[in-house]
Amino acid sequence: MTRTEFEVLNVIVLKGMCRTGALADLLALPEAAVEETVAALGRRDLIGRAGELVLPTDKAEPALVAYAAEAYGDLRSDAESDGLHERFERINAQLLQTMAAWQQIDVGGHKVANDHSDGDYDEKVITRAAKLVERLKRIAGSLGEHDPRFLRYGERFDAALDRVDRGEREYLSSPGLESVHNIWFEFHEDLLRSLGKALTE
Amino acid sequence: MSSVDHHSSPTTRWVYSLEDADPEDVALFGGKGAGLARMSRAGLPVPPGFIITTRACAEYVATGKLPAGVAEAVRAEVAALETETNRSFGGGPVPLLVSVRSGAPVSMPGMMETILNLGVGRDAAVALAEATGDPEFVLDVTRRLHKGFSEVVLGADPDAVDEAVANLGLRADGMPFAEAFDRYWACCRQAVEDDVGAAVPADPWAQLHGAVMAVLRSWNSRRAVTYREHHNISDDIGTAVVIQLMVFGNLGSPSGAGVAFTRNPVTGERALYGEFLEGGQGEDVVAGGADPETIAEAAERTPAIFDELARIAENLEFAYGDVLDIEYTVERGKLYVLQVRSAKRTPEAAIRIAADMLRDGRLRPSAAVAGVSADHLRWVERPRFDRADLEKARAEGAVVAVGIGASPGQVTGSLVLDSERAVERGNAGKELILARPATSPRDLHGLIAAAAIVTARGGGTSHAAVVARALAKPCVVGCGAVSIDETRRTLTAGERVLKEGDAVSIDGGAGELLVGSVRVSRVAAAGADLALLMDRSDAASGCTVLARVTTPAQARTALERGAAGVVASIDNVLATTGQLVNVLEAVGRRGSRGGALTEMREAVAEAFTPLLVALDGVDIDVRAIDVRSDEAGELVPQALLEAAPHLSLPIGDPDLLRAEMGGLALAVEQSGYGSTPGLVVRRVSDPLEARIIRRLGEELAEGRRLAVGSYLTSPRAVMRAADLAEESEVMWIDVQALQAAVDPRRDIDAATYQLLEGVAEIRERRPGCRIGMWLPGRVSDAIAAPLHGLGFRLFAVDPDEVRVARLALGKAAWK
Repeated sequence: MTRTEFEVLNVIVLKGMCRTGALADLLALPEAAVEETVAALGRRDLIGRAGELVLPTDKAEPALVAYAAEAYGDLRSDAESDGLHERFERINAQLLQTMAAWQQIDVGGHKVANDHSDGDYDEKVITRAAKLVERLKRIAGSLGEHDPRFLRYGERFDAALDRVDRGEREYLSSPGLESVHNIWFEFHEDLLRSLGKALTE
Repeated sequence: MSSVDHHSSPTTRWVYSLEDADPEDVALFGGKGAGLARMSRAGLPVPPGFIITTRACAEYVATGKLPAGVAEAVRAEVAALETETNRSFGGGPVPLLVSVRSGAPVSMPGMMETILNLGVGRDAAVALAEATGDPEFVLDVTRRLHKGFSEVVLGADPDAVDEAVANLGLRADGMPFAEAFDRYWACCRQAVEDDVGAAVPADPWAQLHGAVMAVLRSWNSRRAVTYREHHNISDDIGTAVVIQLMVFGNLGSPSGAGVAFTRNPVTGERALYGEFLEGGQGEDVVAGGADPETIAEAAERTPAIFDELARIAENLEFAYGDVLDIEYTVERGKLYVLQVRSAKRTPEAAIRIAADMLRDGRLRPSAAVAGVSADHLRWVERPRFDRADLEKARAEGAVVAVGIGASPGQVTGSLVLDSERAVERGNAGKELILARPATSPRDLHGLIAAAAIVTARGGGTSHAAVVARALAKPCVVGCGAVSIDETRRTLTAGERVLKEGDAVSIDGGAGELLVGSVRVSRVAAAGADLALLMDRSDAASGCTVLARVTTPAQARTALERGAAGVVASIDNVLATTGQLVNVLEAVGRRGSRGGALTEMREAVAEAFTPLLVALDGVDIDVRAIDVRSDEAGELVPQALLEAAPHLSLPIGDPDLLRAEMGGLALAVEQSGYGSTPGLVVRRVSDPLEARIIRRLGEELAEGRRLAVGSYLTSPRAVMRAADLAEESEVMWIDVQALQAAVDPRRDIDAATYQLLEGVAEIRERRPGCRIGMWLPGRVSDAIAAPLHGLGFRLFAVDPDEVRVARLALGKAAWK
């Protein structure tokens, strides 16, 4: 598998299904190059197509795992990598809690959906989330020293947070958008696969 | 405020004590500062403190320097605090510690939050250890200072401090406290330096200065600037800085901290509610984890303190006209109120509180109803498991697994074990419950397609839970007893083995997975509290809200849920009896030959008779068949429309309309309905069409007459509404169709409202014509208010939205 094939397949597996246009946007690659790579992946039976959608086959994930083991061998043996992973999981736990606080408010021990009528509360939660995302970006930055593709997560986080700050609050956790939670969810899986760690939940 | 105002004169005052600050001057003291000033002035025991004005911030932003005189004024205020509290900043015998907060006139993201425990230096720490007799606590305060200051001011990872001190394993016993403190400080300092290359200052004054400057700088943080830019907030207004005495719930006895609610926020019951953690600090209570006692329990030991708290709560609630949440601390028997906010409450409590406060005259109807939102109503009316059916299922052992309820809601559906299938089957319109061992990002499509989600692993804050809540779908996570075999396509829970496609039910609140289906129903009747609020809303709005129904059962439910009457369409009602396509085929292909019209008339009569019986005399307006309506369009074959193109025109076949009118009139007779239904024709836009409809209506025998008229869907029709009304006894307007014609991409907007201007007044010239607005889908305050403002008083909505609409219209009337 070539380097570009790995990057493209990685996103296809993370997304489960996506359009080539979206792949090009996410990877900041020209669409023609993505089309070409997707065709190559198709010939090797790593992806299938359903209309405009590209989907991974059962062979896709094992192929990624094998490539990552090879490509990130030195990263994995780096003493720093365990620390990065631990730090990620710690921030992950806090960020999940922050998302829960965004969605639900504790009322005398009962969880009630946040109706977003309290601006101060919401600002506090967003500020907390933004801080935690800054810390995730630092991890992406450290990984970026080994492989610059991780830096893309930082850019995606910034774009999502900018939208949140402009008042498009759904960019915090909406599953249908390029939201903070979606980016971080993908980053999480990507990081685990790259470092050869198992998902805990 | 223009930049001219920033020019300071030598007499400009930059710093005010909480007592001196004017609570009305939010622009100068910020929201938080003004709120504290108001509480202080009202005699509430807030910890004393002072405010650096927004003007000082503006000056700092403009010049890059703190204005001359601010530092001196801060020192003077600290000195005053020392005198007032008999403590000293940075020293003993009892050290003065302060908190620093930002407080802009408008809340915005990116502003620095709170920094606590400022003023801990070596001398202060030693003195505090002495005063509290609790050296561990002082080390903890030291840790919190480093953690908070380094995170907020220096941008460090707060966990770095926690880890470092955990590894140090330092305890205060066994060595002189000063020595323990030095080692502890050095350890914290090192952790922060390693992380960000800077440290928390050891000098208390430098700490205070650093915190204040961080607040001022945060005014121009990237996030704050983005927010202001986007919301057209001037960069010149600046933030205030609030500096306040830290009080300690662990200093001497009786001391402690807690949160009180002026009423029970879960049930709405009228009684002081909350908790108290003896010897606890405010943060411990807010953060949870500790085990506080109830206020009622605590009050048995120190009744005087809690009597005072109850009195304060009562007065505050009266003054604010709202249920409040009060953060408080008791330090050596003295009560301090730290923060007062509008209390968060469950939807059930919101309704009870609004009704109670209305009954006892504490709130006017407008204010009481304002405390209840559309979301509150939708929650209490949400579909849920039928209680008897659920009990039966439980008794039969249907609960196969219990996990953590991560997102509430009760649903029944068919089990699906992977996301690709969920997407396929979901597209086929099935209600699905997706079960996964754990979730990964590629499950998102499946989560979106499913009606509910179950996972074997993961906690209440897992990725799956976050996604489910964002989608408002029921979700149970961490069902440890569940294992999923993806090759055999089975789910095993204990001894039960379920196959993909089996019916299962989940309760996302209780966290239960049940095998089999449980009946889901909606609670129809309103309790007395809700009924009272609805009555007041109706009285204020003067509006009548009808529900769109198709079956007799729906009509009965809609009336139970407070609809004043109903609207129905002949195409939908005929579709439920399976007759729609048959009779249209007959009329379309045979025209008036061969008894097709008689078939139509009888089909309409047969379908509407039970519906009219169910109405028991309340109003109904009926829309004639429109093969181009969304509902009929799905059922009527394209071939028929091509063979009989006239069916697509509003009055393409007058005989068809005659048959519909005749059928409805017959149903009135057969059902003993006892009132006169309306009948409107969709997509009418020309007064000549309206005249034809009127004449057709006049053909009905005396005593069997209907109120006939037009149903408007286009801007062209609305512009001729006055002329149409001349020929109509009833007129309905489809607001959504109108918006779609004006601009399909948007929610209802100004252009549509503009189009409707003056339409409501037509009633004055033509009192015989009633004019209704059809609002499909969710009703919001934002939609109801302009329509009410335009003078419309008759609405039809989906049955689930009846109470929401009544409430929204009441609020609109009070605006």
